[in-house]
Amino acid sequence: MARRRHGESAKSSLKGLSRRDFLKSAGFGAAGLAGAKLLEANLLAAQSGPAASDEIGPGPVPLKLNVNGTPRAIAVEPRTTLAQALRDNLGLTGTKVVCDRGACSACTVWLDATPVNACMVLAVDVGKRRVTTIEGLAPEGRLHPVQAAFVAHDATQCGYCTPGMVMSCAALLARNANPSLDDVKRAVSGNLCRCGTYPKVFAATLAAAETQRGHP
Amino acid sequence: MSGKSSTLGPGMRADTLPFGIPGAQAPGATLTTVSRAVAENEPPPLSPNSDLRVVGKPVPRIDGALKVTGRARYTADMQLPGMLYASVATSRLPHARVKSIDMRAAQAHPGVRAVHVVKRVLGVAVLRDKSAEMPADFPIVRFAGQPIAAVAAVSQTAADEAAALIRVEYEPLPFVVDVDEARKPDAPLVYPGPADQPHTAGGGGGLQNLPQQGNVHGPARNERGNVETGFKQADVMVEAEFRTQVQTHGALETHGMVADWRGDGLTVYASTQSTSSVRDELAEIMDLPESRVRVLTEYMGGGFGAKFGAGNAGAMAAELSRKAGAPVRLTLTRKDEHLSTGNRPNSRQHLKIGATKDGHLTAIDLRCFGTGGVGTGAGAGGPAANMYQCPNLLVEESDVFTNAGPAAAFRAPGHPQGCFALEQVIDELAEKLDLDPLELRGRNDNSAVRREERRIGAARAHWAARRAPGADRGPIKRGIGVAQALWYRIVNLDSACEVRIGRDGSVELLSAVQDIGGGIRTALAQVVAEELGREASDVRVSIGDTAYPVGPPSGGSMTTTSITPAARAAVFQARQAMSAALGPFFGVSASEIEMRDGKVFPRADRSRAISFRQAAGRLRTSEVVGRASRVADYEQPKQLVQYGGVQFVELAVDTETGVIKVEHVVAVHDCGRPLNPLAVESQINGGIIQGISYALYEDRRLDRNTGLMVNPNLEAYKIAGAFETPEIETVILENYLALSSTDAGGIGEPATVATAAAIANAFYNATGVRVRMLPMTPAVVLDALRQEMRA
Amino acid sequence: MNNFVVANPRSIDEAIRQAAKSGTYKAGGIDLIDCMKEGLASPPLLVNLSALPGLDTVSADGAGNLRIGAMVTLAALAENPVVNEQARAVAEAAARSATPQIRNMATAGGNLLQRTRCWYYRRVDFNCRRKGGQTCFAHDGENEYHAIFDNQLCAMVHPSSLAVALIAVEARLELTGAQGKREVALEQFYLTPEQDLHTGYHLDAGELVTAVLIAAAPARRVSTFVKVGQKESFDWPLADVAVAMQLANGRCRKARVILGAAAPVPWRSRRAEAELESHEVTEQTALRAAKASMEGATPLERNTYKVAIFETVVRRAIIAAAAQDGGHA
Repeated sequence: MARRRHGESAKSSLKGLSRRDFLKSAGFGAAGLAGAKLLEANLLAAQSGPAASDEIGPGPVPLKLNVNGTPRAIAVEPRTTLAQALRDNLGLTGTKVVCDRGACSACTVWLDATPVNACMVLAVDVGKRRVTTIEGLAPEGRLHPVQAAFVAHDATQCGYCTPGMVMSCAALLARNANPSLDDVKRAVSGNLCRCGTYPKVFAATLAAAETQRGHP
Repeated sequence: MSGKSSTLGPGMRADTLPFGIPGAQAPGATLTTVSRAVAENEPPPLSPNSDLRVVGKPVPRIDGALKVTGRARYTADMQLPGMLYASVATSRLPHARVKSIDMRAAQAHPGVRAVHVVKRVLGVAVLRDKSAEMPADFPIVRFAGQPIAAVAAVSQTAADEAAALIRVEYEPLPFVVDVDEARKPDAPLVYPGPADQPHTAGGGGGLQNLPQQGNVHGPARNERGNVETGFKQADVMVEAEFRTQVQTHGALETHGMVADWRGDGLTVYASTQSTSSVRDELAEIMDLPESRVRVLTEYMGGGFGAKFGAGNAGAMAAELSRKAGAPVRLTLTRKDEHLSTGNRPNSRQHLKIGATKDGHLTAIDLRCFGTGGVGTGAGAGGPAANMYQCPNLLVEESDVFTNAGPAAAFRAPGHPQGCFALEQVIDELAEKLDLDPLELRGRNDNSAVRREERRIGAARAHWAARRAPGADRGPIKRGIGVAQALWYRIVNLDSACEVRIGRDGSVELLSAVQDIGGGIRTALAQVVAEELGREASDVRVSIGDTAYPVGPPSGGSMTTTSITPAARAAVFQARQAMSAALGPFFGVSASEIEMRDGKVFPRADRSRAISFRQAAGRLRTSEVVGRASRVADYEQPKQLVQYGGVQFVELAVDTETGVIKVEHVVAVHDCGRPLNPLAVESQINGGIIQGISYALYEDRRLDRNTGLMVNPNLEAYKIAGAFETPEIETVILENYLALSSTDAGGIGEPATVATAAAIANAFYNATGVRVRMLPMTPAVVLDALRQEMRA
Repeated sequence: MNNFVVANPRSIDEAIRQAAKSGTYKAGGIDLIDCMKEGLASPPLLVNLSALPGLDTVSADGAGNLRIGAMVTLAALAENPVVNEQARAVAEAAARSATPQIRNMATAGGNLLQRTRCWYYRRVDFNCRRKGGQTCFAHDGENEYHAIFDNQLCAMVHPSSLAVALIAVEARLELTGAQGKREVALEQFYLTPEQDLHTGYHLDAGELVTAVLIAAAPARRVSTFVKVGQKESFDWPLADVAVAMQLANGRCRKARVILGAAAPVPWRSRRAEAELESHEVTEQTALRAAKASMEGATPLERNTYKVAIFETVVRRAIIAAAAQDGGHA
């Protein structure tokens, strides 16, 4: 992993090669600016000298993430989102990427029990926070009350929004044992479902809450 | 409706099947029986649901646990050894000639293993006469977002970087994206000559070989009687224009495929609604025999009509895999999903209906057009032609080409648009005639099931208590509206199942049919379980693999209709084979062996019952198998049998902000024999919510100056969420038609046909103002209210 | 996204040094990552603010002056009892923004500095005026969601509901840079297109928002925030309004009326304020103030409807704010 000396600018590490020279030599016309920028940033980063002690990247950064209670070691570039790390590096494909912009919440995971969009979290930013994905919501072979209720109430159709929905609803019940219908709607107000499972998601979550209240 | 006495041909027998609607009040509609001639090897008639144990019961989905734990694997989740990742470069211009494509920089990217330039664009209209266009090295770009080339690389990041290095030189051409502009005689031509888009399995595309003037393809004419005469006979008439918007499918899982090219064939994991359509198209594109292409779809994240065939995504993935000699996964970005994978065309409808003073329709005249971009399929005439009895009808439908993404079949193509117009005009006629809107419908609708639905729905929705339009005094005005749906019973005979009963007591059903989310997997388990006296969860259902017996598409609401009788026939065969093996053990003939509640016993002596597993243990071979294809419906009605559906919508309008909130929906639907009320209810919920979303929020917006879509995402392309969801009450009627061994039908499309129309009618009841355009945004609402105040 | 280096400074001074040498601050990352994924930004160095101490708390001093650390999330802000008590509009604005997941990550500072959601700006294919081009594509294009004031140069609307509410309660920003700390009224911080077309605010190189300061509420200050969206689930506002008033015996002594989604900056309506100040707050005065708030509006082809909505929302916000005073003796 390349590091840069503290205080050294990224440009100086290319020893006087101006940005324009770089672009000209690489043969990029004006039309290719976006691609050129990407490549330039990568090449600049790759050619930089030793970095400050608190800088990481641009190459793969070794990380130890606590995922579903287990320490997992991966090495990913800083630009890798948590969603990508979970799916591609850790084989945990339960977390789905649908819009990749934080607009649909299909990729909802917990960071220390807080629901977030994994596609908008950088893996290198997770730190010591515990990551919980849909795979880790309940122990192997068992179902969380929300999961069981989703099955019983037919709150899944194609199933693609389901992991995100379940994570949002389970998070709700963890902080509010007696939610109203409005509370449930608010908890999933960021979760998009194209198949229209909402009514049954609400019913399932309210039922799961009741189940949980009956068995503290 | 009466039982026909038929002369039995050889190999046929006469069966008595349930027929009618249990609990119906209309004369002649209630549950009775009817006689049908069926092939001798068909399963015996299935009793009405009330007599059954598994079929017709609310059975939780057998794949539910996999979905809620994230263990269900979708195309985008597939990871094969050595798999590469693809990225696609698309056009940023809406119309252009491609002068050159330079792949060198992309190819030189260290992570790249293969590149591919698109030579043929799928899913769009094609010129009837290819010579109308100069031959060119590359396809003409006809819409922004058209795929140009793709790369496969060792990581998605590398692929995306490399795709950004593809250099394309374009010669921009004049373009047109507005449907009204495109109709003008001097509009830029999207195609230099007549062009047609072939049908997809789901019913999209349009009629071929219609006349084409400029960008206007059509009209297709549907005529009966003489509308001029009909209007002369009318005492009242309503004539109005309606506009609806372009809607994109928005399935959560984008189009995608993992293509694995081996020297001897191609295996693909596809997000598709039709495994066989993918296989067929890939076989053609890659010049392979169909038997050498295998398509797998264990789970897929929604389609709504856009996922038939290999598509450009599939073609590119297959080509890249072949070139790279490695599996390639290609999943479209959300942006490309909006731009290029399909849409519901918009519509401009001019509708005129005449009726006598006693409320009988005398003439329906609909002229409509719409744009499906570089595709076709904008026709909205289905409801006008088929919902009501009317002796004089003229429907003219045209497609208008524009430089925009191609249309694809979208959940009841043409029907939400058509109903939006038709059902409002019917309401307006009712008002002129001083008739209850339900009464006017009743006088012109010969659908027995919709008659029941109107009656039941009216009671549940407290229709009789509705108030005059605009009754509420304050700024928040509430109202109720009604609209009807129709869809068609479509049977696909390319539907087959195999059922295996193992000596270990295991039961498995295999078919290439895929589950789009409607729950066919569970329905099949129920059909099998019912026959064998087991639980649905005892049945292993292996679907979504073209190595298995062929399955129908999940489109046209034909899946349940087509595949479940094949499943029943297959399990019946397997059961007979098992019973034959048990005969000697019990000392009775095979036909006297019952299977019920997990036990197997001679009908005459239940005390000798053994468990199913023990019974299977007595098989002489390790398994017995039944395999069957769908046979034709037991009767071929002269007209397509219709599904109905009636929806009552209650909403509130904030007349000071223009915001509409749908509060309550009562939906009464039918689908033949409902196999699983849980799943049917979910489909109805889904259709309604999609209908609300279509009516109020969604709009594919193109910038007229650049031709680019301004909202190709899930933030500015607005889809209904949790707070937009009303309370929904569903009533599912059983409507036995005695047409197949399960007599089950589809529900996906009827569920969404009436909703936008019901919302519009409710809006009128709330405010006294008609809105004839979609989406009914606050801007549209405020404008309509303001115009009314001025008038 | 482009590839980049991430610096994880442990002190604000270190952060400022790193940012000054072409680093881009990353707070919650919600706007930044979106921009990077869209190709609108490709910073080679991100300076991560997550580990900096002292930026993620809400505190009040003895006099009731509020200090909201720039890294406080929208969720924390929405739930904070002191903020709800003293500057309710601010808590409401935070609560009505985005989605629960985004609110759990997005920070106050990041929200205030986020770039516009104008769909021409957000698509790299449009080289609009704000990005250095020649054209505001909204003028002759899809301008349904665009500005009705000060829209001649650039028709974007300011994206932050939180800013609207904060300006209503006269919030100030604490900025920390290489030269030390400074404060600026949030109302002054945002720059119109005429003042600064490309960024919309000015920060010195490396300068960082470290806190949002809300002076102690004068007695009887009421505030409210009202948002109207097309959808209630995750939607940007068609119009949002924050109203803060100081009331004495049902009479408005001082009013601030701020409109969001109306202009390239949160739009202060002095005309509306003038109708309120020194008057009793009634349906009539609220109506007059609401109408006054739309004087001088220059709507575009497709957003005239915003005028009607703002008239409604301003009126309702004034009434709702006044109703809060009902409990006071």
